[in-house]
Amino acid sequence: MDYFAGVDIGSTMTKVVIVSGRIESSLIGPTGPEHRKLANRVMEEALGQARLSFDDLTYIVATGYGRINVPFADRQITEITCHAKGLQSLLPSVKTVIDVGGQDSKGIKILNGKVMNFVMNDKCAAGTGRFLEIIADSLGVPLDKIGEISLTAEKIAPVSSTCTVFAEAEIISRLATGEPIANLIAGIHDAVATRIASMVKKLNVEPDIAVTGGGAKNIGLVKALGSKFGRELLVPPEPLITGALGAALMGKDIYEKYAAEGQKPTRIGKKLEEATFFK
Amino acid sequence: MACVLGIDVGSGYSKAVVLEDGKLRSCAVIPSGGDYREAGTKAAAEALDRAGITLTDIKRTVAAGYGGNMVDFADDTSTDISCHATGIHYLFPSARTVIDVGAQYSRAIRVDDEGRVGNFIMNEKCAGGSGKFLQVAARILHINIADIGELSLKAERPVKFTTGCAVFAESEAVSRISEGAAPADILAGIHNAMASKVVILAMRVGLDPDYVMTGGGAMDIGLVNSVGAELGAKLFVPDHPQITAALGAALIAWEQSKK
Repeated sequence: MDYFAGVDIGSTMTKVVIVSGRIESSLIGPTGPEHRKLANRVMEEALGQARLSFDDLTYIVATGYGRINVPFADRQITEITCHAKGLQSLLPSVKTVIDVGGQDSKGIKILNGKVMNFVMNDKCAAGTGRFLEIIADSLGVPLDKIGEISLTAEKIAPVSSTCTVFAEAEIISRLATGEPIANLIAGIHDAVATRIASMVKKLNVEPDIAVTGGGAKNIGLVKALGSKFGRELLVPPEPLITGALGAALMGKDIYEKYAAEGQKPTRIGKKLEEATFFK
Repeated sequence: MACVLGIDVGSGYSKAVVLEDGKLRSCAVIPSGGDYREAGTKAAAEALDRAGITLTDIKRTVAAGYGGNMVDFADDTSTDISCHATGIHYLFPSARTVIDVGAQYSRAIRVDDEGRVGNFIMNEKCAGGSGKFLQVAARILHINIADIGELSLKAERPVKFTTGCAVFAESEAVSRISEGAAPADILAGIHNAMASKVVILAMRVGLDPDYVMTGGGAMDIGLVNSVGAELGAKLFVPDHPQITAALGAALIAWEQSKK
């Protein structure tokens, strides 16, 4: 049996997926300042979960913004490409993907698992997970609860600031005037959704539309985004691993392409060893 | 003796200037806090106290700024942009482009040879080029914001920030610190990131010398140097960069009082 691994080092989370004919294991851990050390650790855990050793892996593809910091990967592929690939295997009907990550957000148009076009914001924290993280923090609410809380809002309290820094100040002063937290969170989701939608609408948006990344785990944000596009949006069962899954599947494709010609791809990454910036 | 009062209630600091016969007599700068009405009053009281006079000695008061319309004892209000232009023109008649870096907002103002506002752009959508950026830096490095300028001058290899966003810069700075970057290099990098933001604002109003920098940001020598380098031109800074708009408000009050 051939096993393929995908490692997605995002700005906030590191994800590893191991596939054969199916998903053998998937693991999510926080991204530390030392990417390489962490990639190594998450990979070890994912192997343990699949009861495999490093030598059982046929090919490893790294993706995400920290992809160059995976010394044991055989190839690096951009997260946009991997996202498209991963999504095609999870939700084949999807033509437009909205990915809300920890420090960026993207819109990707896909056709048959390939990227047709994309837009991206990694310049400004507004419209990214970081925005939600900061607001949740200043409201004293855990990030993973804000989705549910926003569903209890009686109305959306409009938030006029775009900038995360200004929005935080705005939220605090609105709290002081007695605005319920749920309404404020609904307002924040609406603000993030507006910002992301205006970016994604630069693409020729076609249904089905899916949401991935950490933002897709926030039901309030997914609903707010749905209202901007006038339809219900799809969410994969585990929205965080789309990129890592795509990376593993890209590795499988590469391997099979070589195999069809009776060859084997050259493996670059040799050992699963710890590396640090300070070496 | 004819005294007038100018007040500028900013988002971060409130400033007051007393003019006697059109000349600077005293000034005061206090943190605005949460109550703008009180901030304007306190700044005025402090400036009056330093001049050794009371409000009854004031012929006319003009208020401006974020909370300018809350100063209930003012005879008139004016926009902080035109007060800025008036104040700058008084200090530097040759100034044509003003870069103002305030606590929350940064802006660029074009001034003509008579001190009138030609054009201005205010960045109220993004904290990127504003004093907020310096507050973030001070917090993560555990230093006093007033010490940032001096410390940044010791930079040997300024950190290159890939972002102009104050939020992303915070995480980027934390990562660079964990990799061993020196505080001075972080600060110099932050100054460069801010400078490129505010110079873009200035380019949008049209670059025209002489250049003057004002606001609390102009008290940071490192930031002034970075902005000057980014402009590639000499940058003038008033002795009291925070009070420019309050001075302008006072000058407007003085002109009005003569009528």
